[in-house]
Amino acid sequence: MLRAPACDCPSPAVPAGMAVVVLHSVPPIRVLLQRCWQRLELGRWPAVCGAQSPLWGLAPAVQSPACLPEPAAGGEGPGFLGGVLWMAAPKKRRSIEVNRCRRRNPSKLIAVKRNIDVCPECGNLKLKHVLCGYCYAKVKAETQQIRKEIGKKEGGPFNAPTVETVVLYDGEKPSEKDEGKRIIERARKRPSWFSLN
Amino acid sequence: MRLSLVAAISHGRVYRRLGHGPRSRLDLLRNLVTALVRHERIEAPWARADEMRGYAERLIDYAKRGDTDERAMRMADFWLTEKDLVHKLFKVLAPRFQPHPGSYTRMLHIPSRDSLDRAKMAVIELKGNPFPPLIRPRRDSEKTLLNQLLKGCREDAQRAAGP
Repeated sequence: MLRAPACDCPSPAVPAGMAVVVLHSVPPIRVLLQRCWQRLELGRWPAVCGAQSPLWGLAPAVQSPACLPEPAAGGEGPGFLGGVLWMAAPKKRRSIEVNRCRRRNPSKLIAVKRNIDVCPECGNLKLKHVLCGYCYAKVKAETQQIRKEIGKKEGGPFNAPTVETVVLYDGEKPSEKDEGKRIIERARKRPSWFSLN
Repeated sequence: MRLSLVAAISHGRVYRRLGHGPRSRLDLLRNLVTALVRHERIEAPWARADEMRGYAERLIDYAKRGDTDERAMRMADFWLTEKDLVHKLFKVLAPRFQPHPGSYTRMLHIPSRDSLDRAKMAVIELKGNPFPPLIRPRRDSEKTLLNQLLKGCREDAQRAAGP
């Protein structure tokens, strides 16, 4: 009853074979299996054996098909003859020249930055329209220390003063234009980049 | 007429959309204005700092009217969520900026934020704050070519005018 199919199919696993034998007893599935077997024998099943070598007639004997087909559903599955839905797929391999043209197109390259300068204060690199990172970090650290002193002076939250503030470093006395201002003492020498006026 | 596409395309729209909606945007900007009045120098994303700058300057314009003005007090009450800052606004910032006609804030670019979003950041500060300056104005030295030529010109003029 079972003959070798016309195309070159891989040998099935044992459980698949046993499942086929069990399902063969159910009539509708038996009809389906017979149809599939006929197709395999005639070599008209592109899903399973599409690319047939010239020696397909001399292929070794195989007992049963490699896989069961999905139930035919009016030409909607991929690969069925007379199907309605076609998926897009590349027709030819893109050559390396075409690939290079696409990959190296100027719109895909990272733009060269021509607005990089040297900071005149510290010598680090900076963008022209942006503050120098090093100098800003320096100023930010000093500001944080000043804010800590302010916090200690104010004591708690929501105690903003109603007078101006002035920051004095080691050994500095308040001048006459600092009358009536709140004085914040910093326990270090005045940095060169923070001048009095 | 395709009315639906007008809503989807945003070419030429100038107003920014921040936060979860218009009310959320106002709350965000209000928090930033409060922080600016309290700390006098804050770091924030550039777009938010730019939006907030206009509101902060108008608030100071209102404060210059004086604290007896009803509208000014209502504005300050809305925009400053921490009520001790209302006193600071009228007693410290208004006198400080009385001689200036406008532009009470300075906004400068900072290197992008270090985290994954690499957000464009700005530092915005009130002028006349007690902290160290962010930019030091550089003057050209005497030794530049232009300054040497000008110096020579000045000396020639003095020698011609003198004796």
